[in-house]
Amino acid sequence: MPHKWAMVIDLDRCTGCEACVVACHAENNIPTAGEDQAARGRTKHWIRVERYWEGEFPNARIRFQPVLCQQCDAAPCEPVCPTYASYHTSEGLNAQVYNRCVGTRFCANACPYNVRFFNFYNPVWEKPLNLQLNPDVSVREVGIMEKCTFCVQRIHGAEIQAEAEKRELKDGEFNPACVQSCSPKAMVFGDLNDPASEVSRLAKSGRNTKLLGELGTLPNVNYLERNS
Amino acid sequence: MRALNDRGKWLVIAVLGVGLFIFAAKTVPFGHAQTQVTTPSPSQAPGRVGATQTGDSDVFTTDHHSAIAAMRDFLGLRSQPVQPIAFPHKTHLANNLKCLDCHAGADVGPDAAIPSVKFCMTCHLVIATDKPEIKKVAAFQARHEDIPWVRVYNYSQYAHVRFNHAPHIRANVACATCHGDLTKQTTAQRVVNLDMGYCLTCHEQRQAPIDCQTCHF
Amino acid sequence: MATLDSCGSPDHQLIRFIPDEDLVPGIATWKPSLCTMCGAGCGLLVRVMQGEAEVVHNGQNGLVQMGLAKKLEGNPNHPVNLGKLCARGQAGLQVLYHPDRLRNPLKRTGARGSGQFQEVTWDAALGELLAQLSALRTSDAGALAFLSRPLQGQRRELVERFLKSFGAPPAIAYEPLDEAVLRQANLLSFGHSQLPTLDLARADYLLSFGADFLGTWNSPVSQSIGYGEMRQGRPGRRGRFAQIESRMSQTGANADEWIPCRPGTEGVLALGIANVILQDKEFVHDAHSRPASLIAGWSDGLPDFTPEMVEKQTGVSAAAIARLAHDLTHSGLGAVIIGGPPLAHTNGLFNALAVNALESLVDAARNQPALLSFTPAVPFASAAAPSAKGPQSSFAAINALSQSVLSGAAHEPKVLLLDNANPVFSAPPATRMPEAIAKIPYVASFGSFIDETSVWADLVLPDHAPLESWLDDVPAAGAVSMVAGLAPPAVRPLHNTRAMPDVILDLGHQLGGSVAAALPWKTYDEMLQAAFLPLRKHPGSIDAKDDDEFWSKVQQQGGWWSVPAANGAAGRAAANAGSGSAAPAAPAAPPGARAAAKFAEPQFDGAPNDFPFYFLPYASQALGDGSLAHLPWLQEMPDVLTTAMWSSWVELNPQTAERLKILPGELVEITSQHGSVRAPAVLSPGIAPDLVAMPIGQGHINFGRYASHRGANPLAILAPLTEAETGSLAWAATRVKLARVGGVDQANLILYAGGMSGFPHEEEPHR
Repeated sequence: MPHKWAMVIDLDRCTGCEACVVACHAENNIPTAGEDQAARGRTKHWIRVERYWEGEFPNARIRFQPVLCQQCDAAPCEPVCPTYASYHTSEGLNAQVYNRCVGTRFCANACPYNVRFFNFYNPVWEKPLNLQLNPDVSVREVGIMEKCTFCVQRIHGAEIQAEAEKRELKDGEFNPACVQSCSPKAMVFGDLNDPASEVSRLAKSGRNTKLLGELGTLPNVNYLERNS
Repeated sequence: MRALNDRGKWLVIAVLGVGLFIFAAKTVPFGHAQTQVTTPSPSQAPGRVGATQTGDSDVFTTDHHSAIAAMRDFLGLRSQPVQPIAFPHKTHLANNLKCLDCHAGADVGPDAAIPSVKFCMTCHLVIATDKPEIKKVAAFQARHEDIPWVRVYNYSQYAHVRFNHAPHIRANVACATCHGDLTKQTTAQRVVNLDMGYCLTCHEQRQAPIDCQTCHF
Repeated sequence: MATLDSCGSPDHQLIRFIPDEDLVPGIATWKPSLCTMCGAGCGLLVRVMQGEAEVVHNGQNGLVQMGLAKKLEGNPNHPVNLGKLCARGQAGLQVLYHPDRLRNPLKRTGARGSGQFQEVTWDAALGELLAQLSALRTSDAGALAFLSRPLQGQRRELVERFLKSFGAPPAIAYEPLDEAVLRQANLLSFGHSQLPTLDLARADYLLSFGADFLGTWNSPVSQSIGYGEMRQGRPGRRGRFAQIESRMSQTGANADEWIPCRPGTEGVLALGIANVILQDKEFVHDAHSRPASLIAGWSDGLPDFTPEMVEKQTGVSAAAIARLAHDLTHSGLGAVIIGGPPLAHTNGLFNALAVNALESLVDAARNQPALLSFTPAVPFASAAAPSAKGPQSSFAAINALSQSVLSGAAHEPKVLLLDNANPVFSAPPATRMPEAIAKIPYVASFGSFIDETSVWADLVLPDHAPLESWLDDVPAAGAVSMVAGLAPPAVRPLHNTRAMPDVILDLGHQLGGSVAAALPWKTYDEMLQAAFLPLRKHPGSIDAKDDDEFWSKVQQQGGWWSVPAANGAAGRAAANAGSGSAAPAAPAAPPGARAAAKFAEPQFDGAPNDFPFYFLPYASQALGDGSLAHLPWLQEMPDVLTTAMWSSWVELNPQTAERLKILPGELVEITSQHGSVRAPAVLSPGIAPDLVAMPIGQGHINFGRYASHRGANPLAILAPLTEAETGSLAWAATRVKLARVGGVDQANLILYAGGMSGFPHEEEPHR
């Protein structure tokens, strides 16, 4: 059976520390936009931690929610792409094929989660910061869209390794960079088609909700609500 | 020429310029244009010191360093590599060396190594030391320099291809399938056009995955 | 594979050097290292892959194939962080590859402080410093000063030995947000001059007085791991926590109950809660426990701290006090901790002692094992013990340094060795650090960057980046077992730098005599080996048949610890349960002739009429105390409470803002008796109306291209008030006034809106 990659994010464990944010930058060759471009809203954070204030002083509360590409099964970004750059893989990933993308940005308009990012300029790394670039991940140039891939390079790497060792992938043997860094283990990644996986077990939780699930996008990121 | 994000100009430039560029790309030899980059200007701290600039530019970018380079890339035009040493693959292979002896790593990982001059000299310290090309090799080592081999097979950055040798070798794809028959070549030449059609033909024949994201990510 | 298409690459012009190491391209190797981005001492695994770097060899530019660090992950075997890593730790890579990192030794050419240097050879640089030191040693050895951030592991031992044998006074360490007050309180209460280790994985209830334990305080990764287990790691049993603080921190944002309390009265609140518990006849109380005996009036049941009286002083309602007392004693395993702002008042030690007394009261009342423990000291041979003693960060010491220079006292420092400390940026203006540094005749710096302090140096001897160095660190908290982290260099040096410990050894050997005799190791790794080999006879994570095997396994594992490796959070809990309640089991030495602590009103700089607001500078989630402001990943990480990036800001209560007619994002000026800073306003419902808060980190004037001339530095307006007993800087004891000085267009607040805006404007210059 093919894999169906999914994530569970337990909002009762998430502390808003943003280790996931920096881990993602380091893993996925995401350039920093710099002050000027950041002021224009052009930073690229494939994962962000949203925060929602509730109440007024002294009864103020905050809720944190990490938001990344939800890898929707019925992804609104896919049918609008004129070049089929945004499409669905057999493993349930919502993929972005950079060399098909011509930068219409229809997908970003269609995405209700605001998790697709356009390269307004060629990215720049001031040397030798470029020596950190991950050779397993493409460096995206001007004019194309990019977004969270669930660290597909790690998925492929683990699949190829398992194949070389003639064995099945083990649950939890690899994780996307955000999940790997997450200290309180708020994020869990795995195969929903494996009923024994931790992600399958957690997805059955009564606290499970989908972000904007009412839109019918069928996200593959599950949020477990806070208990209080 | 980097203002391609302005759609109006893009069209004009494309229509008027394409003929000129094809001409230029085919006839003008490759030149080392200095990269002109205006970075999102970080404030230069007074007293900033010590940044000895090495190399041609102090930034790394996906920007093409010249319009000609951009056009050549767009058209897939590549100059034939010129190697610093007239390396005879056929001689080495005839002496029973295997590809992986020098190009290590291809069977276990994504990349195939190009060995350093130290590796060459492990044999050529004693073998064929009188040949002029070997003397060149020895001279590199004497100067503590590595041989500046030019990569023959690699993908343009803009192809966004992540090729991995190991699964192909495990699937018994012969090296020659993609790299040509090196027993007949001296320096390696790009005899196989590794475009996507070439990959897909083989993947389809062998029922290997043809999902885009198998290679493009 | 991501190499540029070599045809047409300008890199192609460079010659290639023969690589020093043979790596298989495309294959990642994972090498252990240690994180140095804060003091927690987490273990790292570094993903190293072959790549091509531009380097300079013997003055010639060229390319070389070498192992390059690509990604940092937590070391799963390390008992502190168990494979996890925080945002600041992840950004350690950018220290290694920073474009402004110093690549060669530098000698000053312009005026002192002008930042004009020329590159010199190591021979020339070391020769010059050696001449300075030799001359000083014969004339006035006591005039050598060494100033650093708190040094980790054997580095501290090495520097101490060097200074002692030289005849110089002990090293001075300084960082602005030090933990000297809590260390002293824990020494008095529990007999450990350390921060506590929290076993949150077993906690049912936690009461935190200001401790940002999920963000910047103590050992955040270790505590976050435990926090996840506390919340959802035990089916059907969810631990809760309450946070007492006047400005909602990242930690407070996660609390089940967030309770603001008047600054400086946190100890009073703790005693109010203790009062309620002491009145409760349900529990048997030991009024003579060591922590309790430190508090005046405890044996009488704290009659001056009834909930009603405490309400008047703290602003926390009597009902809330009673509820907190009830929750603490009726929620299974509970713990009380303190950290951060409550300690940064003139009465900080009292606040800490009161909270410690409450903690032990709760444990005793419930007859429960403490969730707080103290990481045991590693049994290094005594001469090599870098335990939790020695030169910790000290505001008093740096103040004394400055005063002695400025007053021209006997033995005023004539040569200063500077290692990464940046007091010109981080000490309050009244210390007059820039003047003092400028007046020291000769300053040599080991730092990897030019910053506001090292710009005054006459000579710069740049250290390797941490990932290029031999590292060792003995975490003082975050693990229940003994932990001695150690790692060889993960990558080869990228630039013409040398490890600071090796430079010290080199200088010591060349000085000869007693200095050389005190430093019997050729290199720092020899010193580390000598310190670590005796650990072999202690039961621990490494089973080795001889010293060689032990030493190689220590390097492979990233250190030595007193429990078998890789037993995870469950193992930590089990180990803690086994070790029993560490806090009450502290050494029973009596606190001596110390008078019992009484509450004293916190002192503030500035009269309330003229300066109506309390001012709280706080450690930034991204930039820490400002020493990480040069890293672009952290600059661009949106602050989780405000979403601000690349900016400074001032947090205000919306009521305050309305009263002063300040709109969000407008420029405000905060003025204390010691100066003023300007920053955009952020309105936050998580801050008391009489408090304004500002993150520390920005406001550098000379710290590389990403940090310089950005935002404002709240430390620059702090009063030099100190905690009364420890002399530690009371960084929360300044009062300020506040005024709107400009509109949004004059402020520069960059918020992360969570998406992207439109197409580049026409008028924008094309790139």
